[in-house]
Order: sequence, then C-alpha cells, then structure tokens
Amino acid sequence: MVTSAPLWSVLVVPALLAGFATVAVAADGLLAARAAHRRVSPAVLAAPLAEVPRLLAAQRRVTPAADTLLWRLGLAAVPVAGVLAAVVIPFGQLTASRMSVGVVWFNAMEVLTWAGLWMAGWGPNAVLPLIGGYRFVAQGLAYELPLMFALISAAAGAQSLDVADIAGAQGHLWFAVWMPAAFAVYLAGVHAFSFLGPFGYPAGRDLAGGVAAEVSGPDRLMLEAGRWLLLTAGAGMAVPLFLGGGAGPLMPAWAWSAVKTLAVVLALVWGRRRLPVIRADRYAELAWVVLIPVAIAQALAVALVVLTTGGTP
Amino acid sequence: MTTAVFWVLAPLAAASGFMVFRFGSMARATIALLVSFLASGGLLIVLGLAYLGTVVILMMVMEMVIMAVFMIAYMMNPAGLMPMAMFHNKRASLAISLTVFALLAAGIFVTRWPRRAGTAPRDPTFRLGEALMGPQMLTMVTLGVTLLATMVGAVVLATHRGRYDRFGDDLKRRPPTDPARGGVGR
Amino acid sequence: MGLTRLLVRAGAARPHVLVAAVPGGTAVRLAAEEQLRRRGWPAALTPADADVLLVAGVPAPGIAGAVEAAWAAVPAPRARAQVTSAGEVSAALDAARAELAAGAPQHLPAMSGGHDAHEVIRGGHGGGMGGMDMGMPAAHGSGAVGDGDTGHGVHEMAGGHDAMSGGHEGHGTGDTSGHDMAGMDMGHMDMDMGTPAGLPMARRGEDRDGLTLDRLHVPLGPLLPDWPAGLVIRLTMQGDVIQHAEAETAGVAADTGSFWTEPWRHAAAGEPVTTGAAVRRRSAAHLDSLARFLSVAGWDSAAAAARALRDDALGSGPSPRLGPAVRRLARRVGRSRVLAWSTHGMGTLLPGEAAATGMSAAALSAGGDVTARYRRWCRELSDVAAVFDDASPLDPAVLAPPRGRPDGTRAPSAVLLAALPRLLEGAEFAAARLIVASLDPDLDEVSPAAGAGHGH
Repeated sequence: MVTSAPLWSVLVVPALLAGFATVAVAADGLLAARAAHRRVSPAVLAAPLAEVPRLLAAQRRVTPAADTLLWRLGLAAVPVAGVLAAVVIPFGQLTASRMSVGVVWFNAMEVLTWAGLWMAGWGPNAVLPLIGGYRFVAQGLAYELPLMFALISAAAGAQSLDVADIAGAQGHLWFAVWMPAAFAVYLAGVHAFSFLGPFGYPAGRDLAGGVAAEVSGPDRLMLEAGRWLLLTAGAGMAVPLFLGGGAGPLMPAWAWSAVKTLAVVLALVWGRRRLPVIRADRYAELAWVVLIPVAIAQALAVALVVLTTGGTP
Repeated sequence: MTTAVFWVLAPLAAASGFMVFRFGSMARATIALLVSFLASGGLLIVLGLAYLGTVVILMMVMEMVIMAVFMIAYMMNPAGLMPMAMFHNKRASLAISLTVFALLAAGIFVTRWPRRAGTAPRDPTFRLGEALMGPQMLTMVTLGVTLLATMVGAVVLATHRGRYDRFGDDLKRRPPTDPARGGVGR
Repeated sequence: MGLTRLLVRAGAARPHVLVAAVPGGTAVRLAAEEQLRRRGWPAALTPADADVLLVAGVPAPGIAGAVEAAWAAVPAPRARAQVTSAGEVSAALDAARAELAAGAPQHLPAMSGGHDAHEVIRGGHGGGMGGMDMGMPAAHGSGAVGDGDTGHGVHEMAGGHDAMSGGHEGHGTGDTSGHDMAGMDMGHMDMDMGTPAGLPMARRGEDRDGLTLDRLHVPLGPLLPDWPAGLVIRLTMQGDVIQHAEAETAGVAADTGSFWTEPWRHAAAGEPVTTGAAVRRRSAAHLDSLARFLSVAGWDSAAAAARALRDDALGSGPSPRLGPAVRRLARRVGRSRVLAWSTHGMGTLLPGEAAATGMSAAALSAGGDVTARYRRWCRELSDVAAVFDDASPLDPAVLAPPRGRPDGTRAPSAVLLAALPRLLEGAEFAAARLIVASLDPDLDEVSPAAGAGHGH
C-alpha cells in the first residue's frame, strides 16, 4: 500500500533523482569510451562528473541584446520540470506526493520543457539557439500526442489516474507485456522530452549544440543536468506505469523499485547511441500518421480488455 | 495553508495578466500570459479540482508556446525594440475595464453563495464532470473528435498548394513535390 | 577564492577542447582529434563549451580574424594553443591543461583593439556573440550592450534580423580583408534610433509559402565543427529555410596541396609510393568525410568508430584487423535504414546537371542525393579494404584520389564548391548541413585564385 511520505521527503526526491542521473551519466561515459575504442577503467566512469566543477567554475556569458530574463528562466525550467515530474513517482512504498491525478501531473510537468527550451532558444538572441528552440517545439508537436495516449492506456488499464493505483493493478501481469505499443511509445517519448539520443535534434551537433550553443557556466550545468534529470524521471515513471512498481519476491519494495529504475535508465542510455538523430521534419509525419493511430488503437484494446474482464487479465 | 497559497497565486495571476499589456516584447507578453494561466491552474487545484487544474496547466503550456511562435512570426516588432504603443484609446478602455471589474467584484461579494450541504465528495472532479456532462457523454466525445477534424480540415483548405500542385495534373506523380519531404512519403 | 581554485583544478581534469581547423592544417587537426579521443577529452562544439582553443595549423590572414573572434568568445578559465605540426599536439594539450589547472581565473577576455572596459565589469563576452565564425549574426562591438539593454534588444523574429544589410566593417586586428570576422559588425555605424543596440532592423521578404517574413544573413563557417576548414557560406535565411547561399573561402593559402592527395602528388613527382599507402590515405579520407557526415547526422557512436578507424588507417605498420573492421563499419552505415530514411531526397544532384557544371567523370559519381553519396563512400571503403598492405607501386590510372581526379586545371573540390550554393537553396538548415557534409569539399585542393570569388 503506497503512502504519502511526510513533507520533507520533497527534498529527498531531487537527491534520489540526481543519484540515478549520475549513474546514467557514468554509463553514458562508459559507452562513449567503448565507441571511441578507448580502454575502460573506473576512471572512465567518473570522468563525465568532472563536468560539474568545470561548469561551476566557468564564467557566465552574456550575448548582446539578449532577453536575459527569459533565457535564465528557460534554462532553469528544464531541471525544475524534471524534479517536479518526479514527485509523484512511488519509490517502494513511499511517494513524495500521492496525487489522485499523478499521471496528468507528470505529463504537465514534462510539458514545461516546451516553454523552457523555447525560451532558452529565444533568450540569447543568436541564430543557432533560436533554431534549436524552434526545433524542440516541432519535435514536441510530434512526440506529445502519442505519449499522452500511451499514458492514457496505462491509466485505462488500471482505471485510475493515481500512479500508485496503476502500480498496484499490475499484480498479475505487467502492463509492459500486454500494452507493448504503449510502452515503446512511452520510452521514445522519454528520449524526446529529455532531447537525448535519437531525439537530440534541438541540441544537435549540426547546430553546434543548438540551445546549448551560447550557454556556459552554471547555466550550462543546469541545462545538461536538466536533460539527465528528465531522462531519469521518465525512467522512474516507467516503473510504476508499465513494470509493476515495487512488486517482486524476496527483496523489499524500495529495492525492486531501484533495480527496475536502474534497468530502464541503463536501457535508455544504451538505446541513445543506437540510432542517428531523427529530424522533426521527417518524424512529425510519422508520429501523426502512424504513431497516433497505433497509440489510439492500443488504448482501445486496453479499454476493451478492461470492459470485458472487469479488471486486468 | 490553502489561504496562503491562494493569496500567493491570485495576485500573481492578476499581475502577470496585467503585465501582458505592459511588456513591449511579444515573447515576454506570451510568457506573462502563461504564468497567469499557470497561477489559475494552481487556484483550481487549491479549490479541490485537481484534474481540472492539472489539465489547465498541461494545456496552457502547450498552447502558449504555440501562440508565441505565431505571435513572433506575424507581429511586427516582436521584441519591442522599437517604441510602439501597445494600448489604444487609453482613457475609454481604462474606464470601461475598471467599471466592469468593479461590477464583477461587487457581484461576487454581494451574491449569496450557497452553503455546502453535507460533506465534500471524494472526487469532486468526477462529480463535477458527471453533473455537467453525464447524460451527454457520447455527444461530448463525438464533438471532440469533430472539432479536431474541423481544425485539421480548415488548415488543409487554407493552404494554397493543393493536390494538383503536389501530384501533378494527372494526380499520378509519386513522390509528391513538396518543399520538404515528410517522413512517411505520402 | 579557494573554492574557485579547487573547482578549476577539478574541472581541468577533463577540459573541453575546441579544435579550430584552418586550411592547410589537416594533419594537425587529425592528430588533435586522435589525441582527444585517446585522452577522453570531449571536443567542444562552440566556444561557449570550450576551455582550450587549439588552433590547428597556421592561420592565414584571411582566417586569423575568425580565430580571434572564437578566442574572444571562450569563457574563463581558458587556455590557447597554436600548433603547427602534428607531433606537437600532445605537448600543447598537456601545456594547456597545466595552464588551466594552475591559472588564476581570468575575467578579462584578451581583446585586441578598440573595446571598452564594459566587458571587464560585465565579465562577459561583449566582443562577439561567441563564434561569429560559428554562424551567429553580428553583434555590436562594445560589451555594454549586454548590460540590461534588454528593453531595446534586437530580437530575431521567426525570420531573424538582418544584421548584415548594408555591409559591415572588418575587425581591426591589423588586416582589412572583408572576410575577417566573417561578418562581424564592429563599427559604430548605426547609432540612430532606427537601429537599436547598433544593429539594423530586419528587412522582410516573401518566403516559400507566400508569407512575408524577416530575412537573416548568417555566415556559416569557417571554424564550425565538422565543417570543411576555411569554407564560408553566406546564407540568407528565413526561419531556418535558406533562400540564398554564396560560397567563399577564407584563409586558403598558396598551393601547399592537400593532405589527402599527398601520395598522388609524390607519385607524380616520381617518388616511389606503394598502392597500400595510397589506399590507406584514400580510405582515411573517406573515413574522415564519413565521420564528419555521421557527426552532423547525429550518429555519434558510428562517427567515433569511423574516427578510430581513420586514425588506425593513417598509422603505419601492417594491421590485419583494419580491413575487416572497415568493412564492418561500412556495412553498418550503408545498411542503416534510419539514416537513409532521414537523408534521402535531399540535395539531389542529377547527372545531367552535374555534367553541365563541368564535373569530371569521377566527381560525377557525387550525383544523386545525400544518401547515394554517403553510400558511395561506404562502397569505396569496402571495395579496397583488402589491399591496405599492398606493396606494389601506385598506379594513378587505377586508383583515383579520394575526391576524384582534377578536371583540367580545376580541382574536384572546386567543382563541388561550385555546385553547392544551388543545392542549398530552399533547404532547411539541417538539410543544408547534411548536404555540405555529404559533398565535403577539401579547400586545400582549391587554389586561392579559383576559390576566392563567389561560388554562385
């Protein structure tokens, strides 16, 4: 039975999220070293974390005629969105905030990146960040609706918008097993809203970093950390939505939550390197013409199953 | 606690709504409007309508970002860098708006609001939805899809490139000539 | 102060290096990329992300201004290294890292000539919006603009603003070539009300849908990452759609000859050159082009693999595993359906048009779209993967240089440059970068006289 933790637990959420994000970053560094034919050693795992002191000590940049308010606000919105999205995720038997509409809250918080990245692109008054910001809006229009339908599928399967209820309704069979399309669309959506991997279009190398092209210092740390926090929050949310939450034999619930979250995080980090960047102008048509009907069909299938069996299979 | 949250969110909503017209930059005006909407969504959550409030936040963020794109594309001087008068007919509009505000405020304070009979329902959003739309659920669902189809159809009708531009006079050219190819090759 | 010092020392463990490749510095750039890969130091994409600026090669006067602008845009703590030969790279990187770790945090960008003290107060980089050469629009010279002028800031609309209209002055680092700062507006030209923050307002024009949007003039290059060194393409964009493009060269020195065609030049001069050496150099050229293309396409792991194989190919001594590894990579990239889906239909150069622009038979094989071109590289890599260690003398008639044989007096890259601007018009920015990366002209082959004019 998932209970809401006391109020101070809201501070634990960023710490936990940062912990998993650190693991993700270290794993990513390991894979990058393997891809570059470099020898892997424990130092390779710790190397990406040298970013933190480097960026903290770096000088902040200003650009002429920038809209500084919007710029900083936009950059700050990225990690804030990640942390806020994670407050509804149950970890074991505890959750920082047990909202009756947790799924919608998660969706609303990750949508904050739309505003954040657009502002981060507009703020510096430079070409490449501006193109990057608009690229994210284009990508957002493509990934958002399939993601919403995937979330609706999971909520319909448990007949509740409460994340803890959804985790509890998977006692017999994980949702990832009988809602595979929704699960796949959800994982793609996680990459998309954290603009990593095949959906790294807004911060792409062809834009010399895109939204990150003019940022340095602590602002850059916020942006980069924000991406990884969003990825981790998305991975954490996949566990109660599709993988049964903290349920499992032998180990306590929080251990299972941690193991499953770690598995999803590592799978996402591995999947990040497999594909080239998918551009929004090609992806948008695919998302609207193929993925949305698939996601709707999946939701319909789930609804039919629930109606006929009166619950989950 | 809820009173404190109310007294933070309500002035924020009103002030940022006011700032929409003070900012010369279209981007800032849109973000100010977004903040106002977010505060209104928060107020709905405080009122106990969690679903409505969260959905307002979700929808408004997406809508304001799309609105920002269009405002900046179509407005002259979107960054407010040239001095531009944002208001017109200042005296009359100020008088009208203050009068309407006073009337509404008076109405709110003077009305006898009904007292709650019994206890609050466990899920006020559900009850509210049922009361408003209960007998017409099918109509609502159909209307939603119809609205979407209408919007898509309107955009398609508005583009000046039609089927004959894309597929040629005999509608046989494949792939169609578009300035940028889509991903599915329609 | 102690905490800052500690953070700087910790951060200097893995500095980000911006490799500024100038024409003539190909060998140095390759050595630098190899060193960075071995050390695990990320290559920075913009000056904003860089700690160390490594200038690979000797910058000619035409490109020195761009290098200075990039240096001005690097935030403190920072270090600079100028490397002229491939063997010096390792020592230069070590020295730069030591300088970073030991140096006091500087907040004074070392600007040369004509800037106020406002930069000092601000601690920022008024000297340019970082990477003029990275394709940002012009900025006003003085850093004072950044100070809270936001109410009067010039903002780019969906079409951007026209900061280059009416021409611009070159930065005064001692030379007056118009291509110096790649379009940086360093004058005090426009101080009247019609030009807030010293930048003129954008002009409008029709776009492809019939809307009237603003036009932005943006120079791309010469120091952009994964970009042919010394190439500057002046774009007129609306949003991110390119309306007009002109290709120029910056800093191309006298005919030193290209690094990639060295074996053929030696063979023509009568020196003994083995087929194996020529095949290695040619495959390394293809791998380098492929790696840059894959970086632009966003496939970092394949790009890293291509770079590693390129370094192995350029190394000396027999390597039996190199051939199969190259074939594997070529197969993996050539068969990738996602990459083909992303790139097909872009930048199509029909064989008839190619002949019309005067392309030679070898360069004609650059016909087709972006997908066809990178698949051609993959095929050529696979074809010769067995003969890396062939010791027979080179026969130039059988084995052509990587970008084709010269067409009379015109180098193949000059022909590719001539074809570029037309291919870019109407393309979106991402498509434009992919098109340039798929053609990958080598400006070292192009003589300054041929390349200095407008390509269109």
